[in-house]
Amino acid sequence: MRLLLVEDSVALAEEVQAGLIRQGYAVDWLADGRDAAFQGAVEPYDLIVLDLGLPGRSGLDVLREWRSQSLLTPVLVLTARDGWAERIDGLKAGADDYLTKPFHPEELFLRIQALLRRSRGLANQPSLRVAGLSLDEARQCVQQGDAIIELTAAEFRLLRYFMLHPGQILSKTHLGEHLYDGESERDSNVIEVHVNHLRKKLGRDIIETRRGQGYRFGTSV
Amino acid sequence: MRSIQRRLSMGLVAVLVVCGLSLILVSQWLVDHALRGYLRGGLQTESENLLIALVRGPNGLQLDEQRLNPAYQRPFSGRYFEIHTGASRWRSRSLWDSTLAVPSSEGLAGRLVDGPDEQRLLVYRANYQRFGQSLTLIVAQDYNPLLASFNRMLRLGAVLGLVALVIILLLQRLTVRNALRPLETVRRQIVQLQQGQRAQLDNQVPLELEPLVSQINHLLRHTEDNLKRARHGIGNLGHALKTPLAVLVSMSARDELAQHPDVQQTLREQLDYIRQRLEHELRRARLAGDQLPGVYLDCDAELPTLCSLVRHLHGAGLFIDCQVPVGLKLPWDREDMLELLGNLLDNAGKWAHAQIRLVIQIKADHYLITVDDDGPGVPATRREEILNRGARLDEHITGHGLGLSIVRDIVDSCGGTLTLAESSLGGLHIQIILPLKKRSPLLASTPSV
Repeated sequence: MRLLLVEDSVALAEEVQAGLIRQGYAVDWLADGRDAAFQGAVEPYDLIVLDLGLPGRSGLDVLREWRSQSLLTPVLVLTARDGWAERIDGLKAGADDYLTKPFHPEELFLRIQALLRRSRGLANQPSLRVAGLSLDEARQCVQQGDAIIELTAAEFRLLRYFMLHPGQILSKTHLGEHLYDGESERDSNVIEVHVNHLRKKLGRDIIETRRGQGYRFGTSV
Repeated sequence: MRSIQRRLSMGLVAVLVVCGLSLILVSQWLVDHALRGYLRGGLQTESENLLIALVRGPNGLQLDEQRLNPAYQRPFSGRYFEIHTGASRWRSRSLWDSTLAVPSSEGLAGRLVDGPDEQRLLVYRANYQRFGQSLTLIVAQDYNPLLASFNRMLRLGAVLGLVALVIILLLQRLTVRNALRPLETVRRQIVQLQQGQRAQLDNQVPLELEPLVSQINHLLRHTEDNLKRARHGIGNLGHALKTPLAVLVSMSARDELAQHPDVQQTLREQLDYIRQRLEHELRRARLAGDQLPGVYLDCDAELPTLCSLVRHLHGAGLFIDCQVPVGLKLPWDREDMLELLGNLLDNAGKWAHAQIRLVIQIKADHYLITVDDDGPGVPATRREEILNRGARLDEHITGHGLGLSIVRDIVDSCGGTLTLAESSLGGLHIQIILPLKKRSPLLASTPSV
């Protein structure tokens, strides 16, 4: 899952970014509204966390521009303005959720989780359950039947992405775009290695390889 | 406050009545004077005729009856004379057995004299010398018929004057109404302003009203700008304080601090306390209250979003029954009203099992807003408590007391009342009465113009 964090306060952004990375998200951080308007529309983000009080351009403006360009990426608005009128303006501009500052980091993580699942059309449930697997996002492990299987951070990130997109053919490039932030090296071999690790832990059939197309998760079960 | 129309009518009536009366009096005097002057000439001629009729007879002076006006022969004909010589006196036969009072001086007597048969006589005295004798001739004429027809004319004149007065008043009313139409338009626009149906007064007004209207518009803009600036400032302050607060809250959750649970706990409590106070005071400071006319909340446009927001916050299974008249506009500041309704619905949503009912009704002099939920409700003894700032009945559900205390702040700033009761749905029933803004009776009633 690759997120865009748009927040002008360096201290808060670093804090949130560190938390999000611990949660297994690839995070790009921007502080200026004009940069965000451009990059948010170009890069394939899975979710955008947007502060409304931005230098350059107001967050609401940026959001309206994205929505007018039919950008469907879920947007979680982060703001110090907590009036109902502002929340309504935020929703009307196209926000999917609204979190007011100050917030507990766990609440932000839970909202992001819920928003990602909702945007994939999955019911709101305590853990992510697909294809006989149940992913515990807090502990970053997966339950298969009665067995609890520990995952490395990279495996967790890959599996979560697969579980949020079951039945879809995902190319290595696509996976690379969504699992790593804009500054990391994208090596398709690394993804291959992690897929093989997952197959070892969860069974060969869990991820199908479509030659020349990519991987498909959760079709055999 | 008296209306301009009435004041103009009163002034006009007073001027017209005074003018009319003095015109009547002056014209009466003038006509009387002219008539008497004219009649004086006639009487003088009569006296000269009488003098000619006096001829020298066998026994001294003698009156030649042949030369006399026949009217002097007919009793009470209205024409009389008396001739006094030193020894004898002649009277006209028309006098019958009455006599004429002799005026003290020559010429026309200043006052009318009572004559026979209740006649009012105009008396003329002339002194002559004839055949060596000094003579006093007194000629009189009945003035009554002329006076009567003259008075009839005056009465007719007065009636015509009255009719003219009524017509003038009606015309004046019409003119004034036409002239005051822009004022009436402005008056109506101010009513609309207070009901929140418009934000500015129309600029297309006569020259005389233009400064007033532009001044009012300027004040409106000024107040609006001030409110916007204040809110913007409060927003910035909130942003400036809450972002570092968010950093601190986030840091307080760090693993390093988890090794000192008591420090972490105190830190969290204090940060939470700062956050609560900050939110409460900033929300209070943002309220516009009653200061701005021409603002409103468009329920049709905003309530659906608000309801979906509340459903989003409290689960999609929540049913919100919105009973609001179509096209309703609440004549208070949009942010205040959204804050009020948002907090009411949010509070109800926190407690409701499955259903919330929001009803807004327009009454004669107030708006009635009620919110019901099917939650556990609040016992009568504790209802007052949850309205007080920050008090929470259930610590697990955050912001309960805070939301309602903001609701109460808003209701207070609008001069309304807030009461809690048991709902027919089973939970809490919140009733809010927001009185229509007070305005001067002249604005409230349909004017007489």
